[in-house]
Amino acid sequence: MRRAGVVVLCLAGLALVSYPIAWLISASLTPVEDLVAHLRSLFPGRITADGYRGALEGAGGESFWTFLGNSTIVASGAVIGNVVSCSLAAYAFARLRFRLNGPLFAFALLTIMMPAHVTLIPQYVVFQHLEMIDTFVPLILPKLLATDAFFVFLMVQFMRGIPRELDEAARIDGCGPVRNYRYVVLPLSRPAMVTTAIFTFIWTWNDFFAQLIYLSSTENYTIPMGLRLFIDQTSSSSYGSMFAMSVLSLVPIGLFFLAFQRFLVAGVATTGLKG
Amino acid sequence: MVRSQGVAYLFLGPWLLGAIGLTVAPMVVSLYLSFTDYDLFNSPRWVGFDNYAKLFGDDPRYLHSVGVTLRYVAWSVPLKLVLALAVALLLNSLRGKGQAFFRSAFYAPSLLGASVGLALAWRAIFDTWVDTPDHALLTIVLLSAWQFGAPMVIFLAGLQQIPRDLVDAAAVDGAGWWRRLWSVTLPMLSPVLFFNLMLETIHAFQAFTQAFVVSGGRGGPADSTLFYTLYLYERGFTEFRMGYASAMAWVLLVAIAVITAVLFRTSRYWVFYGDER
Amino acid sequence: MKAHGVLGLMLCTVLAASACGSGSGSGQTEIRFIWWGNDDRAKVTGEAVRLFESRNADIKVSTSFQNFQNYFEKLSTEIAGGNAPDVIQMDYRYLNEYAGRNVLLDLTPYVGKEIRTADWNPGFIGSGKLNGKQVAMPLAQNATAIVYDPKLFDAAGVKVPEIGWTWADYRERAAKIQASTGGKIAGSTDFGGTEDVFETWLRQHGKKLYAEDGKLGYSKDDLKAFWQLSKDFRDGSATTPPELVTTLNAGAEQTPMGKKLSASEHTYDSLYGGYHTVRPDELKLGPYPSDSKEALGSYRKPSQLISASARTRNKDAAVKLIDFLLNDPDAGKILGANRGLPANLKIREAVAQHLSGANKVVFDYEKAVDAKLGDAPPAPPKGDGAIYKLMQRKHEEIVFGKKTIDQAADEFFEDAEQALS
Repeated sequence: MRRAGVVVLCLAGLALVSYPIAWLISASLTPVEDLVAHLRSLFPGRITADGYRGALEGAGGESFWTFLGNSTIVASGAVIGNVVSCSLAAYAFARLRFRLNGPLFAFALLTIMMPAHVTLIPQYVVFQHLEMIDTFVPLILPKLLATDAFFVFLMVQFMRGIPRELDEAARIDGCGPVRNYRYVVLPLSRPAMVTTAIFTFIWTWNDFFAQLIYLSSTENYTIPMGLRLFIDQTSSSSYGSMFAMSVLSLVPIGLFFLAFQRFLVAGVATTGLKG
Repeated sequence: MVRSQGVAYLFLGPWLLGAIGLTVAPMVVSLYLSFTDYDLFNSPRWVGFDNYAKLFGDDPRYLHSVGVTLRYVAWSVPLKLVLALAVALLLNSLRGKGQAFFRSAFYAPSLLGASVGLALAWRAIFDTWVDTPDHALLTIVLLSAWQFGAPMVIFLAGLQQIPRDLVDAAAVDGAGWWRRLWSVTLPMLSPVLFFNLMLETIHAFQAFTQAFVVSGGRGGPADSTLFYTLYLYERGFTEFRMGYASAMAWVLLVAIAVITAVLFRTSRYWVFYGDER
Repeated sequence: MKAHGVLGLMLCTVLAASACGSGSGSGQTEIRFIWWGNDDRAKVTGEAVRLFESRNADIKVSTSFQNFQNYFEKLSTEIAGGNAPDVIQMDYRYLNEYAGRNVLLDLTPYVGKEIRTADWNPGFIGSGKLNGKQVAMPLAQNATAIVYDPKLFDAAGVKVPEIGWTWADYRERAAKIQASTGGKIAGSTDFGGTEDVFETWLRQHGKKLYAEDGKLGYSKDDLKAFWQLSKDFRDGSATTPPELVTTLNAGAEQTPMGKKLSASEHTYDSLYGGYHTVRPDELKLGPYPSDSKEALGSYRKPSQLISASARTRNKDAAVKLIDFLLNDPDAGKILGANRGLPANLKIREAVAQHLSGANKVVFDYEKAVDAKLGDAPPAPPKGDGAIYKLMQRKHEEIVFGKKTIDQAADEFFEDAEQALS
């Protein structure tokens, strides 16, 4: 009975929350001439597939699949980078005792507080000297180097929630710090790592500004950039295609989320008291 | 705790490299720039503390943007966290496929990020509210709160980590739903709560893209959505006063650092870590 | 653990894939050409560029394009980061922000020679000058216009915009239209915050936006009079309500005209295409109202300009490309009227023969008002970008009742003078 109540509540909340998405989907199916009228209502009079046709055809000579492929490469690279490098750094901060632990951790947090726009140009200059402009390197390399301190902090918080008794047990068993990391802390940090993977994928997928700055050739463009090629206020815009591409773009990240979210269920029902 | 100087630096290696090369260097450069007049294309010209003096003495729009940002933080952070926690608690009581479905569904808004399509959707839905100075900020607060999926997922992960035995034990002891929440769940969740509070606050101070796309880049109408970083961007990029913008960035950095330090200090009164003895 | 192995493999693949950017050949001059526009423009520009390459085997051109809103962010970053493109499409309002900071190549030595100007309107060339230096060449021409819905005018029984109509006429007709729709559709779109309208109005009164020395070319009273004019429209129920004021400067679909909430609106004729897409064949272009018999106020404005980077290492190749895009007849045929009326008059005539749809409407409009169009003033000085936004902001404060016209004008002048310094 109670469960039914919860479900009803969830459904109601869902309806409210989904309205803008429903609007987006219906806008992607509306012919451009009707778009104006559509701005007020949810259901268009007529439906057209023109938007999707235009979106799949792509822009600037590249098809949607090119943009999709590029976005996938960039996002995947970012995921791998963040998951690996941030968990390593987080373990050091959370579990290892060394003199600079406090100050370095504070510094890591400091890096989250810097607005991106002012460090943008110096960073650009760095990559410009490395001759990496118009490649994906400037978009992925920072992730491999744990520059997303957000995830370092996230993992630190999770790791601190893992009981130290486990570490002790492992140490008694003869594990050094590396094996401790690999066999004790890492497996138990799965929810944090999955969270990192999911967020990194989605945020990188949607991150427009860095992609705008570093990518020049249309064949390297990612979806957020390709999407904006459909709207130019100085000429005529293809709103249908833009909306359609926005909707299509939801599919891969939606799938990614669906695929990985079950790992959020920690499986820590036992809380590892058995180790 | 394992004593291990060398090993620590092994683990920290990638982060250190990134920090020094890609973060520290640009930050130092931007600090230097904040004391200069830099138009992006020609050499910076040293002006000492002029930029900072102008910020606090001679720039009403700056102070206005601080006000807008503070209001935004005060509204959006609590709203977003309460929504995220409430929905996470709700979902946590479901199991299996049901939870998985609703989890994905409530996360869906966050999948859209700050896309142009979403901004247009928002403008269409909120129609004239977006273009009225008294209400425009509210629409952006709502947009931010609507994308509560991220903290919600983090809360859920945190909830999953709470040993069921503890909660069940409390139930056996006769504790009602609210009591269980207040005495068991929330304290166990406090590290995660602290994390979310910190990060959402920091992000809220830096909010840019939502305001940018919804207001068409101008922070209008009548500067009612002129977020701090939006004003920074305008000064730096569209007015080619990057020195001034750098000064703004550093003021923001210091402000956020202070607030964060305060949060950290007060955290020892209400955050409970499982790894403490 | 197996997972690490898989991760490692993925890592290598991703790194390999990511290092594949654009390759480069050697022995050739390579130049980068950057411009803004939509997909259609991408197609025709790409074609024209390939034609250029086929005729110049030793030059390779790599192109990049964005939409207008993001174009200048990227451009500024690239230039600041030391990676400036060689050939750059420019906007009249931004020209001096860049030229005034020594970023654009002085083309004066090439004008009339490598960049042919035989078939050009001489006055038009001047629009790309700053302090006597030719910092950019105009690519195409446009002019201010009033876009309107003839059906609404007819339904209200008023005459459509015609040469010689005055601001009083405009207000009357707009008020009648607004009344005839029961207030649902405004007679006009509030223009008080739009510098382009202000400029046109100033020129009708024999003044201009900026003086020779780059300072403001008008007085506080002029500004107040203009704002009073827009207030008269508001008081006379002849224009859009405050909530619609902020939407004028987005794409056509976002404007009151595009949303069918207004019967007439200021625009540039080159933007007509955008309106045409959302409201096919419904709208027409008409001349500005003017209280002066001789001065219409509108002028031959460069809708876009093309320039070269001051730091380019391939001056000759860049100049060659510029000349090709401006003057080559085959390029002209390919590019058509995509960027507006071509600057080269011969090419313009050739292109005019094949125009249809929106482009034809624009061409016809320009022809109809050509005799009354003035020469473009020099490009606005540095700081105009900020002043443009300042005007919008101050106007918003006025319509929402936060400031009076006098207060707003005082503040405007303070801020404007600062922006120009």
